[in-house]
This record gives sequence, structure tokens and C-alpha cells, in this order.
Amino acid sequence: MMRRARLAVLAAAILLLVPGFLLAQAEPGELAAQTLGRAYWHVFVGYAAAWILVGGWAISMTRRLARLERQLGKD
Amino acid sequence: MDAELGATKSGGGSGGMQRFAIVLTLVGLIGVLIFYWQVFFWVNTERTMGVAQRIFYLHVPAAWNAELGFGITALCSAIYLWLKDERLDWAAVAAAEAGMVFATLLLIEGSLWAKIAWGTYWTWEPRLTLTLLLWFIFLGYFMVRRSTDNSEHGKRFAAVLAIVGSLDIPLIHVSVLWFRSIHPKPVIMSADQPMNLEGDMLVTFFTALIAFTLLFLGLVAFRYGLERSQALVAQRLRRERSA
Repeated sequence: MMRRARLAVLAAAILLLVPGFLLAQAEPGELAAQTLGRAYWHVFVGYAAAWILVGGWAISMTRRLARLERQLGKD
Repeated sequence: MDAELGATKSGGGSGGMQRFAIVLTLVGLIGVLIFYWQVFFWVNTERTMGVAQRIFYLHVPAAWNAELGFGITALCSAIYLWLKDERLDWAAVAAAEAGMVFATLLLIEGSLWAKIAWGTYWTWEPRLTLTLLLWFIFLGYFMVRRSTDNSEHGKRFAAVLAIVGSLDIPLIHVSVLWFRSIHPKPVIMSADQPMNLEGDMLVTFFTALIAFTLLFLGLVAFRYGLERSQALVAQRLRRERSA
């Protein structure tokens, strides 16, 4: 319970402290002023999401396989 | 068909399937690493959209793999309802899970790109709405599978849902042509100008498409093996308890 509360406080602190551009919340005016270098964070977040999702799925499969092996060992 | 009989038919192939899954996944991973190098260090920046256009190389392969996954699920489900071969149900659930992963990726990439292109993460335009609907239909597929006391019934209901849900896939494709939509028209499969991309962009795009498809197939094969093992263990336990 305490661990969850600590995590929630940490997440809230990160959200408050992280500058707006990291969250891709730039105002339309700022976007218009940007040139070709704009939107780096969107691209990085997008490409990181691919690793997180596919990797997460692969890890979940290996965990399910390990659980199955444990079940087999027990029986 | 009895699950064990199905497994016996694929019998000694389980080791072969595992090797196949590992090889495909490794080749896919190497391809993905090459693709990431191309995207961040090699391919030219597009003139109008700038760096944000690089999301395209991930967005389209994610869409392709999501629809491939759901398409395989629908096809295997249809044949499963006909032949009652458990292996087809295992393949369907493996492909559906892969489809969900790539559909989630597709929605994330699309939202990030939409923020730059349209100024908003989400808008209820036809293609986006139909894609979200497809995601929810296949979320329902997993819920329906677990919603009945009799697992056989759950599998059959889910198979019907997958077949009906897959009708959304062609609709997603024609939605940008049939309805008023702010989503771009097809670039690669355009009827007027197919493969309408610069050479280096086309190479990067196809690297991503092939790499992610191999990774998809490898992980689906691995997931199929897992589903098969789970089914066989459950069957063995049931038999031991009843004996």
C-alpha cells in the first residue's frame, strides 16, 4: 500500500516537473514557429512505444510459459 | 477434433515450431535494429512534415500487422467452426493477441502523429473511429472467450465475434475513399500513384514492413506453442483428476 502511494506521489511529481514539450503539449503558436526539427519527442515516444509494447508482450509470454512449467513441476 | 489428437498430428513438430519461432523472431529483431538505424541516421527528412513524418514508417507496418493478425484470427476462427480442430483455435488466439499488440501500437503512433499534423491527439473521423472499433471488438474477443463456464462455448462465441469483427478491416481501408475524412489517402497502395515515396523512404518503409512482419510471425508462432502447451497441460490435469 505504502509502495503504491509512494509511486503515485512520484508520478505526480514527474508530471508537475516535466516541461510541457516533453509531454508533447506545445501550444499551436509554438508549433507553427518550429521548423523541420519539430516534434522530436513525438517520434522518440512513438519508437519507444514499439519496444515497450512488443517487448512487454514477449516478456508476458515467457512469464506465462514459466508459470506453466512451475505448474507441471508441482504436479 | 480432440486437442490431444490435434497435438499428436502436429506431434514432433513442437520443437520445429519453437526453432521456427526463434529464427523468425531473431531475424525480425535484427531487421528492426537496421530499421531504427535507417530512421534515426539515414533516411532524409520529409519536406512538409519534417521529423514527425518518421512516425509513418512505424505507423503503417503496425496497421499492416494488426490487420494481418485479426485477419488470421477470422480465417482460423471460420475454419475452426467448420472443422472443430483445436489447433485452429490456438492459432486464432495467438494471432488475435499479436493483432491487439500491433493495433495498440497503431493507435499510439496515429495519435502522436495526429497531434503534429492536425493539432489534436484524437478526432472522431471515420478511419480512426473504425480502427478504435476494431480494437474494442478484439478486446471483446478475449472477454467472450473467458466469459462462459464451458470453455468450448466461449471459443465458439469468440470465433463468431472474430469473423464479424473482421468485416471492419475492409471498411477501414475504404473509409478514406468513401467518407469525408482528414486522414491521408493511401500512399503506398494508391491506385493513381502507387509507391509514391522517394527511394530512401521506400527502402526504410519496406525494411520496417518486412522486419515487423517477421517479428510478428515469430512471436505468433511462439504464442501458438504456448497456447498448445497450456491446452495440453489443462487436458492432462483434467484427466488425472477424473481418474
